[in-house]
Amino acid sequence: MSYIELPHTADIRIRVTSETLEGLFSETAAVMMTIMYGRADPGTVRRSISIESDSTENLLMDFLSEVLFISEVDALVFSSVVVLLSGMRLTATLLGEPFDPGKHRGGTEIKGVSYSGLRILKEDTGYVLDILFDV
Amino acid sequence: MISGILRVGEYEWEVPVGFVPGMRVPGHYFLSDALEKTLEAGAVQQLANVATLPGILRYSLAMPDIHWGYGFPIGGVAAFERETGVVSPGGVGFDINCGVRLLGTPLSVSDLTRRRELVETLYKSVPTGVGAKGNIRISGKELDGMMTKGAGWAVSSGYGMPEDMERCEEHGNMVQADAGAVSMKAKQRGTPQGGTLGAGNHFLEIQAVKEIYDPGAAGVFGLKPGQVVVMIHCGSRGLGHQTCTDHLKILESAVKKYHIPVPDRQLACAPVESPEGKAYFSAMAAAANYAWANRQMIMHTVRKVFEKMYGIEYESMHHIYDVAHNVAKMEEHIVDGRKVSACVHRKGATRAFGPGHPDLAARFAATGQPVIIPGSMGTSSYLLRGTATAMERTFGSTCHGAGRVLSRSAAKKNISGTGVKNNLAREGIIVCAPNDASIAEEAPDAYKPSSEVVRVVDAVGLSRLVARFEPLGVIKG
Repeated sequence: MSYIELPHTADIRIRVTSETLEGLFSETAAVMMTIMYGRADPGTVRRSISIESDSTENLLMDFLSEVLFISEVDALVFSSVVVLLSGMRLTATLLGEPFDPGKHRGGTEIKGVSYSGLRILKEDTGYVLDILFDV
Repeated sequence: MISGILRVGEYEWEVPVGFVPGMRVPGHYFLSDALEKTLEAGAVQQLANVATLPGILRYSLAMPDIHWGYGFPIGGVAAFERETGVVSPGGVGFDINCGVRLLGTPLSVSDLTRRRELVETLYKSVPTGVGAKGNIRISGKELDGMMTKGAGWAVSSGYGMPEDMERCEEHGNMVQADAGAVSMKAKQRGTPQGGTLGAGNHFLEIQAVKEIYDPGAAGVFGLKPGQVVVMIHCGSRGLGHQTCTDHLKILESAVKKYHIPVPDRQLACAPVESPEGKAYFSAMAAAANYAWANRQMIMHTVRKVFEKMYGIEYESMHHIYDVAHNVAKMEEHIVDGRKVSACVHRKGATRAFGPGHPDLAARFAATGQPVIIPGSMGTSSYLLRGTATAMERTFGSTCHGAGRVLSRSAAKKNISGTGVKNNLAREGIIVCAPNDASIAEEAPDAYKPSSEVVRVVDAVGLSRLVARFEPLGVIKG
């Protein structure tokens, strides 16, 4: 699993690669945490997400938006995101620690996940995602 | 120059129909030679994409701070005929009614003693940065008040004076707001964040009036040379972000239902008068009101800090004006000689209504509305005024700021936040920020010069220069 930053002047656009679709989803959520909080240490506070959608792209959008929502309202910084996919149904388990201003103010607020340029490609070695976050 | 674009004037460029398939009108943008060098192909593509949407009137427009965003370009303006056109969150953005407010004080620069203490006190008093929660406890009923009454709710709750509202775009309140169209999730995010600044490019800056270009208008706006003012830049926080996310999903389905082909999924939209379009518009208006209430609450905190530190009266600190940068509005404009009711989207653009416009308070009848253009951190900001030319040419719109030239990661890689902070300190500008990396991201070198952007809108006549401000202290979100 890995990611690189793609050129974009105003916002943050990244390319994430993973051997599996589940890995792609969880890695992207982990990258979001790094962008927002600078660092995320292992934690024990658990949250679950269970959603369904009509396409892989929409499922990813809904999942990432849900991670943003939970992180903000419950003030949690997630370090571990495990995703299970079954068709267009997703279940995820997130582990994290409470937001600590002294430790987690190193990042940039993500305002939203954009559909602009959203692309998931299946290649021989796995999956490639291009995605843009409004910051 | 990007291939396929025509230069049609000293500061004007046209993107012809056909630049991307399905364009209904040409694209038109305003740019100087100096600014043209940093124009991204992605921004022009986005400008052309907007021109494909149904009901678009005259042009897909962009101001001289045009740059690459998502959906619309930043700096983008488009008006859609109410009866045949669409409304799109791609033309507003996630941070609904991100905007700027300017507060005047009776102090002059020489009165501003204990400057570091002032900046540090403001930094402690206004919650700032990722994860910050407001100091003011807001009930469900009060949240509804913020969403339906905007700045008016804040004033009637003790966070300001009645005169503050008339010195505000829409008097700080879009009446089409429906708090019922805002999801529980958005409300949950908005409840703890009232009176918070947020992060990224949001800021609170203490500035001094350095130059006055139009003494008549400056007098009407309440400005004099050497005066200390405070600029507040922030938006609708998580409530607005969630509202955009929720309605984007609904409008994604609406484009299929109404058979609207969109070249970018972020341009998801629905007819203005459809149930989906109305639901988005009324939720967006509620989020815009939340943002006005939020800026009003922050301004109240700033007034209290000044009152305590300098022994000046709260009532002596006059609100100068407040403008939205990311919003859609129902407005009437004259198009080809006929009066048209239109849904005007401004994404990283400012309303610039000219003299005599009926929506403006009587005090601005001769000048046009004040237009606040923030510079990047440590550089000049400007006050301009709206014009008849803007009414004729850009649906009463002008630029909103400087516009980025370096990505955030490039800025962090190439610029030292600590270095920027030290350089600004040598110029007497005190900066407080959550961390030095965030200073690098917003460093002046990461932005186009705001002076050039306002020079172009002034030269074209889309707004006229009134005054220039220089920063004294910066609180970065």
